[in-house]
Amino acid sequence: MRGRRDYLLGKLIRYGFTLFLILSLNFALPRMMPGDPIINLLGENALHNDPEMIELLRAEHGLDQPIHIQYIRYLCQLTEINLGYSIHKNLSVVELLTSSLFWTVLLVFPSDVFGSLLALLCGSLAGFKINSRADYLLTAIALSLYTCPAFLLAMLFLSLFAFHLGLFPLGNLTSGGKEGIDYLLDVVWHLSLPVAALSLLGGASKFLVVRNSVMQISDQQFVVAARAKGLTEGRILNKHIIRNVLPPFISMVALSFGFMVSGALIIEIVFSLNGMGTLIYDAVLARDYPVMQGCFFILTIFVLFANFAADMLYAIADPRIGRSS
Amino acid sequence: MHPSIAGLVSHAPLRVAGLSSLILFLSIALFAPLIAPYDPQETGSPYQPPNAEHRLGTNDIGQDILSELIYATRVSLAIGFMAGSISIIIGATLGMLAGYYRGRIEELVMAISDVVLLVPGLPLMIILAAYLSPSMWNIIFVVGLLWWCSTTRVVHSRVLQLREMPFVEAARSLGAGDGYIMLHHILINCKEIIQAKFALAVASAMLTEASLSFLGLGDPLNISWGEMIHFAFSRGGFANDMWWWYLPPGLMICASVLGFVMISMEPERSQKALEL
Repeated sequence: MRGRRDYLLGKLIRYGFTLFLILSLNFALPRMMPGDPIINLLGENALHNDPEMIELLRAEHGLDQPIHIQYIRYLCQLTEINLGYSIHKNLSVVELLTSSLFWTVLLVFPSDVFGSLLALLCGSLAGFKINSRADYLLTAIALSLYTCPAFLLAMLFLSLFAFHLGLFPLGNLTSGGKEGIDYLLDVVWHLSLPVAALSLLGGASKFLVVRNSVMQISDQQFVVAARAKGLTEGRILNKHIIRNVLPPFISMVALSFGFMVSGALIIEIVFSLNGMGTLIYDAVLARDYPVMQGCFFILTIFVLFANFAADMLYAIADPRIGRSS
Repeated sequence: MHPSIAGLVSHAPLRVAGLSSLILFLSIALFAPLIAPYDPQETGSPYQPPNAEHRLGTNDIGQDILSELIYATRVSLAIGFMAGSISIIIGATLGMLAGYYRGRIEELVMAISDVVLLVPGLPLMIILAAYLSPSMWNIIFVVGLLWWCSTTRVVHSRVLQLREMPFVEAARSLGAGDGYIMLHHILINCKEIIQAKFALAVASAMLTEASLSFLGLGDPLNISWGEMIHFAFSRGGFANDMWWWYLPPGLMICASVLGFVMISMEPERSQKALEL
């Protein structure tokens, strides 16, 4: 099992290095970018204070000290889960983030699962029956979704299904005033349209990859052998082809997590869900830099952990990992 | 029809379709002042629905939406082209260096691209774009700088195959230097991959630019399609179901991105390039 341990260790080092880079980037950006770091760290509203107060704030945030001391101070603050303070919203950034992150995860997770399953299902069908009518139809749909910006699809969904047909709510996460199972069903009802949009967006790009891998594997000798043996087409697809597509598919699903989060941010804004996307949107409009940075930081950590978990799963799912090395 | 053109159409119908749609968009961009019925800056009475004078109505400050749409073609295409070029230049150079020299350089380049691939792109771009002043050039710079990884990986794996080929060895034994081999033998043989990746990079750059502009990070002096939708969304166009304001720029984005994606498709290995 030495090979596998080396594999996991290598991954761990890679993730640790990425985490370190992200932390440093988060530290460097407000100090490096044009403009007064005090604005970049406290938001534009900080300048409404009088000059003495600004100097006081500067000292309080250690901005008058040498850069390496600032960096150590910054790392210490992180261990205390302190991401700064939003003067604009009058709340600490961590407080703002915790509830938003929950809703974003609630949007991203089911969408990732549905989108991946949809892609696997349609992709293997289209790849197996390449150049058939079903293949052309599915590929055409996937391509149009692939070229459609997330916000446009969300706006079309909202306008069509919620505004004109009245099947779904126009936005928000709940109607309010409900408890227990009613509350849960209400949230599901509110989330179904955004989840559908995000699933389709995420599924479209994965579909094309699955379709191609299935197409390539279908040409190989062992598939011909299976067919010669008299296996049914369904059995060939399920037992022989999809088996071989699964490991690269899992790693692709993991890598697409960042993409899904990006899509979720945009979709939340259109559906006015109180997640990270809306938080970032408000922060961008108000130039509330601490909130923006906190969001970036949390999202990156979240994506990193998701990828790390997927890598571990991958090592368990594919027994060949680490054997060759 | 000329026989070779007919042959091309039947051989690669998607490419021809993509190319013609792009020529159409390019001519709209080039001849914008001739096609647009009004000056897009000119203000009139606001929130008009489509009528005989204003085919797509007017926006919140009474500018003609059709003219704005035509002029926005310039901005969207320019940002897509330039950001795509930056990312392809970085991506192809790094991929070639990593694949050709291998060793330390390869490890370094692959490690960097691993890290960049792990970071969620949009949030980082939002932060960078928010810190920098809202201008077209900053968007080009931000998008171009973060989209090179997939190009690097594809070029890298292609160069790995190429460098072991007999003709490269032959060139080396004739005394050709590394620079010469890379320019005259490796780069030439990566041409098709780079072309396909360039088309895809422009497509992704246009989509990313649209998202950034939709968030209100676009250049207020150079309105792009994404920014038109931003205004439609934030100034009541969407809430009041004024589809003629947000739908046309959205369809323009879809059509132009689709054009670039179709160009990148090779007839025999369709959508192969889309994989990465």
